[in-house]
Formats: sequence, structure tokens, C-alpha cells
Amino acid sequence: MDFLLQGLLKAIELLTTNDPETFSAVYSTLVVSAYSLAATLIMGLPLGFCLGYFEFSIKKQVRVVVDTLLSLPTVFIGLVVFAFFTNRGPMGEWGLLFTLPGIAVGLTILALPIVVALSATAVESMDRQLRVTLISLGANRQQLFLSTLWEARHGIIAAALTAYGRVMTEVGIAMMVGGNIKWQTRTITTAIALETNKGEFAMGIALGLVLLLIAFGVNLSVSFLRKRY
Amino acid sequence: METPLYAIRSLTHVYRGKPVLSIDRLELPRGGIIGVIGPNGSGKSTFLRLAGFVERPTAGVVLFDGKPAGPFAPEVRNRVTLLPQEPFLMKRTVLNNVAFGLRIRKANDHLAERVDKALSYVGLDGKDFAQRPSYALSGGEAQRVALAARLILKPEVLLLDEPTASIDALSAQLIKDAALKARRDWGTTLIVASHDWQWLYGICDTVFHLLRGRFLGTGRENVLFGPWEPMENGLWGKPLADGQRLLVPKPPDTLAAAVIENVTILPHSEPISGVEGGQIALSGMITRLALEKASGSIVVSVLVANIPFTGTLTERQVCDHSLYPGRMVAIRYLIDSVKWV
Repeated sequence: MDFLLQGLLKAIELLTTNDPETFSAVYSTLVVSAYSLAATLIMGLPLGFCLGYFEFSIKKQVRVVVDTLLSLPTVFIGLVVFAFFTNRGPMGEWGLLFTLPGIAVGLTILALPIVVALSATAVESMDRQLRVTLISLGANRQQLFLSTLWEARHGIIAAALTAYGRVMTEVGIAMMVGGNIKWQTRTITTAIALETNKGEFAMGIALGLVLLLIAFGVNLSVSFLRKRY
Repeated sequence: METPLYAIRSLTHVYRGKPVLSIDRLELPRGGIIGVIGPNGSGKSTFLRLAGFVERPTAGVVLFDGKPAGPFAPEVRNRVTLLPQEPFLMKRTVLNNVAFGLRIRKANDHLAERVDKALSYVGLDGKDFAQRPSYALSGGEAQRVALAARLILKPEVLLLDEPTASIDALSAQLIKDAALKARRDWGTTLIVASHDWQWLYGICDTVFHLLRGRFLGTGRENVLFGPWEPMENGLWGKPLADGQRLLVPKPPDTLAAAVIENVTILPHSEPISGVEGGQIALSGMITRLALEKASGSIVVSVLVANIPFTGTLTERQVCDHSLYPGRMVAIRYLIDSVKWV
């Protein structure tokens, strides 16, 4: 149990002394999670809205596919992305292997089904009277879409938070696509994996606590926004 | 000749493979109060959703002011509004719910004052209610706020789907008064679907009767449901709880609905029933008397066993025969006047 306490003390020391390696890992984590979450929300929310809102003939089948993609193994995603970005791969020229944007691509693939599935559920569970009310009050199609999104905001925020939690804590993709390069592509999770392999448990716990702190901060902000709106 | 406000042609609406509304031809004038009456499942809500341009019919066309229109059409979007049966508000404050329609029209001047005024139409104090979240309202208050959100737009057409169902009596009265105020102050055409025929007959210029997705006529038809069984003399009918027998001609099928348009009501102190000269006579008790605004007649509701019948009498006839709720009367109808739906 000593190393748990040592981990806590180490976390405080790393943060208060501005340890450059720690902050580099934090920076990398925040950058990749921000990129991937932004891309996921831009693509995933409209797709989720359409899946939840409209009726079409293959809706059930699409839903099954999306729900299945929720179970995609992260190492499989990492492997496929690695294969695409490696020099011999179709996107090798893009130079994304072992870069933060490359990791973000992999994390986007991981998070997209989460946002699509959960936001579709949030929109599906909206009262059918919402559409009647919005059209009756004179909304056009764009206003209908935005107002429905706003009414489903709590469910959509939950979808975004779930996706954010997933990308922040992901190891496999970051390791395979990023390479865990110090100062370049080492994220908190890959750093934890490395330190644990080195037997530096205290350091691993410290980094884990840092990750928890970030997650706590994000959730606290969202909770404040939810109460306000 | 003035263009009718609504002209419906060859309209059919199907829901999950089942036809729920079928209107060959219907025209509704502007500037009046139009009532739609019918049992549950008759298609009233569907008709209002189509007339409110919230849905598009499966087939056929709805012309508004002479032009075909549908959901999101600019010519109807800011002129026609529907208040659905179930109270529904968005997840925001009362003020933001009521102001929503104005905001999307970018009519943001004096918003708070206009919201206050709209809330006062439905008997709510803006100071007390404006900042309340929608979940903090009772059903009646929510329906009143929903109506205020429509009245603030001063619509040309206001469609009300059972506006007083499932809410308290005070809210119901306030909603009725607010709707009539819109008619008086802004010339809004009201189209109201309701079970409250007494209210409808009292305020409407025209009342339509809707049954199984079809318009029957002026709303004074008596609709009788099966199952029917063969009786004597080639007639069919069904036994009633008080021992009388409801007689009709042979139906197309045992579950067909019978429609009787003209029912004669006569005072009769002794029970009477039977067939005489092609007329069927039954005994019943008056349950309601209501003034029909359009014609000035008195609409009389008579309960025969557990089946309501409706007929009309003049004011003079009601006075001469001393008719009042609770009085036993005889009703008569011609066997040949029974139609099948």
C-alpha cells in the first residue's frame, strides 16, 4: 500500500514542481483528445441526429452496425491505422505515423460510434410532440435541427463525456500509432504503461491521478454548465 | 367568390399501412370557428396535424388560401399554428417557451412585455411564472403556457386539439376564453376538435362530424355501433340494458356503424318502444340542452339505456313541451333514414 501513498505524494510533487515530462504528457493528452473529440462531434452529432430522428428502411440494420462498432477493440483500430499510415500504407505519404494528429485519427475512429449511438438514443427518446411544437411555432428545417439538438443537450453532453472519457484513457491506439516517443507523442496513458513496465509504480499512479484530476475538472465544468442551461 | 381558407382534395392519410383519414372534398371558410367532433380514433388529431401542416398527407392535396402547402412552406409557417392535445413544453423557462416563436422570427422587440401580455391572456402572472422552469408547472399551467406561446404570434389560424382534455376545470375555462379572445381581437380562424359538444355547438359557426376517418356532415348525426344481430321482420338490432331494442335495417357487416341524421324528440311520460309505420320509437331521458349558435336551435341530448341520441328542437318547442334535463321523452327515427359507414 506504500506505493499508493507514494504515488499520491509523487503526483503532487510532479504538478507543483512543473515537471517537464509530466506536462509534456499532459499536453499531448489534451491535444489528441481535443482534436479527436472535435472531429468526433462534428461528424458524429449530425450522423447521430439523422439516425435517431429520421425513419428509413435500413434504420434497424444501421443501428446494429453502429452498436457493433462500439465494441471495436482498440488494438485492432491501432493496427489498422498503423497499417494505413505506415510508409507502405495508402496514406504513408501523409506522414501521420508517430504524430499526435495520427493518434487523433485513431481516437476519432474509436469515439465516433460512441457519439453516434448515444446521441441517436438521446434524439430518439425525445418526445414526439417536440417536432409538432417546433413546426407549429414556425421553425424551419435548420431551426428544427438546432432546437432538437438543444432539447437533447443533456443526452448529447453525456455522449460527448463518454467519448471524451474513452479517448482520454485509451492506451492501445496511442501506443501503436504514436509510438510513445518522449516529448513528442507520449501521452499520460502511454507514460503510465511505460513507468509500470519499468517498475516505477509510484510514477504510474501519479500520472493516473493527474489523469483523474483532468477528468474531474472537465466533469465539474460540464456539471456547472448543465445546471445553468 | 372568396377563396376558401382551406380546400382539401382527394386526401388520404395512412399510418402503418392503415388508412386513418379519407376526405374527398372539403372546404373551410376563413374567419369563423369550426368544430370537429368524433369519437376517439376517428381521425380528429390526424386531420388537425394535416391542416396545421405539421405532416404531409399520404396522398391528396391541402390548399391554403388557394395554394398547395405542406410542412415548412413559407406561406403557412408564420400563419398557422396547432396546439396539440397533450401539454408539451420545451426544456426551458416559461419565458423562453412563450418567446420561442418570436425569437425564430427575429421579432425580439419588447420581448418580456409581450410574453407578460400573452401569459395574461391565459390567466398567468408573468412576474410569477416567467422564470419558472417548464417541469415546475402542473398539466393545466403547461397547456396554458403552450397556448400563450401560440397566441403571442397572433396567428391567422389556430388549431386546437382537445384543448380542455386532461386538465383542470379552471385551466379549461381560461383556455376557452383565450381562444375566443384571439377570434374577437385578431380575427383568428379557430378550428377546434373536442368531445365537449356542448361547448362546440355554443361557439362554432360550423361543426363537422368525423367518424373512422371520414367526414359525415354537420355534427348532429347519431352514430350507433354494433355488433348487430338479426331481429324480427327482417330487421336487425341489438338489445339495450333497459330491455328496449335498438332496430336498424340489415347491416353490411355485423360491426358496421349506423348513422341516423334526423331524430324526432317528443315528450312522453310513459315508456314507449317498438315499430310503427316504418318508424322506430324508443324511450329515454333528457340529459342536456344546449343552444346551437349557428342556427339558434336547442340541441337536445337524450340517453336511451346507455346510448346518447342528439336531436334539435326550436326554443318554442322546448318551452311548449316543458323539456328539461331528467324529463322522460320518446325519440323516433325512420328505419329508412339509417345509413351505414
